[in-house]
This record gives sequence, structure tokens and C-alpha cells, in this order.
Amino acid sequence: MSSFFGVVAKQIKSHPALIPLFIFISGGATMSVLALTRAALKNPDVSWDHKNNPEPWNQMKPNQQYKLLAVNMDYSKLKKDRPDF
Amino acid sequence: MAEDIKAKLEKYRTAPFDSRFPNQNQTRNCWSNYVDYYRCQKALDAKGLDTQPCEWYKRVYKSLCPISWIQKWDEQREDGTFAGKI
Repeated sequence: MSSFFGVVAKQIKSHPALIPLFIFISGGATMSVLALTRAALKNPDVSWDHKNNPEPWNQMKPNQQYKLLAVNMDYSKLKKDRPDF
Repeated sequence: MAEDIKAKLEKYRTAPFDSRFPNQNQTRNCWSNYVDYYRCQKALDAKGLDTQPCEWYKRVYKSLCPISWIQKWDEQREDGTFAGKI
């Protein structure tokens, strides 16, 4: 790993115009990793613990928002409308 | 609660927005309501209560699920090969 950063540092020193490229590539890589991690941990379709939490979508509140950006949906007004049993 | 359900069932048009399934893929929504209907029936039968509130789940899954899936799952339930825990 240190050789990787050594190579990158040498490239940046010799071609400083490439700095924005590195910024965007590392930013993109970080965002994709974060998105995958969020999907793995927070997505209600994903169940890690089959014994204790086999259906995580049932643990959600009726007005809980999973999407990062929800257009035209006022989550604060949602109420529970399913019968209990 | 039962009166609300009756009122809601009479005004039913289609499956309401479910925040647990906000995206385009509604497969899980269909599955969840199908399984919830039979779980609700089983639970309320075991308690000796009226199973009328369970009709909500039935209306929702009938709105959402393809008929072939419902038929396939009904056959699986009869055969005992249904994958869901009811």
C-alpha cells in the first residue's frame, strides 16, 4: 500500500495538473463504497441475522424514510394503516 | 380497530404507499402482504378472534401480486412446500 501512495505522490509531483483527477477518482470510489456499505447495513431487504431478525422490513416505523432523496412524499404525514395481529 | 378496518376496506381503492418498500421493485411488498395475511389468520384464529382485519392484507396482496404468483404460492401452501414462515 505504501508503494501505491509513493507512486501516486511521484505522479502528482511530476504532473500537478492531474490532481483534480485524483480527487474525483478517490471521491467517486469513496462514494461507491459508502453506498454499498449503507445498502448492506441499512437496507430493510437485507437480513444478516436470520435467527433474531429474519424480516428487517417489519422493524421499520410507518414514517421511516430509507431513501436518501424522496421527491413528492411527505414522510411525516404517514401513519400506520395495517391491522395488528 | 375492527370498525376502522371495515371502513377502510369499504373505501379501498388500491394498495397504499408503504414506506418499507419505497422503490420500484415491489416484489417484497407483495410477498410481505401475502405472508402477513396467512400469519394474521393463523394468529387471530389461535386467539379465537374474528379474522376480519386480516382482509386488509388480502386486498393489498391481490392488488399488488401477479395472479400466477398467487396461484403458485397457494399450491405450494397446499403441498407444504411454501418457503415462507406462516
